[in-house]
Amino acid sequence: MTLYHFLVLSAILFSIGVFGALTRRNLLGILMSIELMFNAANINLVAFGHYLHPQSFQGQGFVVFVITIAAAEAVVGLSLVLAIYRNIKSVYTEKLNLLHD
Amino acid sequence: MSNPMPTIVFYGFSAALIALSLITVLSKNVFRSALALTGALCVVAGLFALMSADFLAAAQLLIYVGGIMIIMLFVLMFSQSPLDKLQRQINEQGWLGALAAAAIAATLILRFRDAFRSVQAEVTAQATTSSIGRLLLNEMIVPFEVVSLVLLAALVGAVLFLQGRDENAGKDPR
Repeated sequence: MTLYHFLVLSAILFSIGVFGALTRRNLLGILMSIELMFNAANINLVAFGHYLHPQSFQGQGFVVFVITIAAAEAVVGLSLVLAIYRNIKSVYTEKLNLLHD
Repeated sequence: MSNPMPTIVFYGFSAALIALSLITVLSKNVFRSALALTGALCVVAGLFALMSADFLAAAQLLIYVGGIMIIMLFVLMFSQSPLDKLQRQINEQGWLGALAAAAIAATLILRFRDAFRSVQAEVTAQATTSSIGRLLLNEMIVPFEVVSLVLLAALVGAVLFLQGRDENAGKDPR
């Protein structure tokens, strides 16, 4: 088990997240795909810290911040989704064309 | 690296993680994909524990699974209608998106292979909680405080987003 194993796993996870964020129609699905991408980045940070700098905890400290920002992002994003749902009764992205019409 | 157990656990976790995240992205039922995402986040916590990041594994479970996913499930239940299960969940650019994702994965994997093919870890298993605490309150004290402000702003913003209409609705009858 080398560093490369973890990097390949997180690359696959990140690309799955990219696919979801590009192709989901549901706003909540897009938010979930973004969480997947956050987690791929977190795996990378911890893996680099564990394999290249085992005595330093900078990578793990950074992951703490990423998790915190992800929580803030989820709170704001989900409240936006709820506000949008109250206004247009839909959570599908192609219905969000108020500025387009 | 004579002990094969971590490798076996790693491959098991990887298979579970990829399968669960594929369900998250592809499932037609959004509720099911939220549950699959919860499982995937738990598996990521297991991967953190495998890399001897015990504090992060616990934090992942508490914040992601216990906090973010619960809010997400609540919003999901507030904002779905029964007809949603009949709807297509992938938009028209599905194949383009798959192509872009595959290109990103291939680029990352090929680049990483050149650089980090044979980096092994020396085994250092130690408790990380106190070290992370010292790191956060010494070197990273400025980002720590900034992040607390960001969290406060996010909470106030969320309350503001959701209260705007209720206030008007309450005023109208009077």
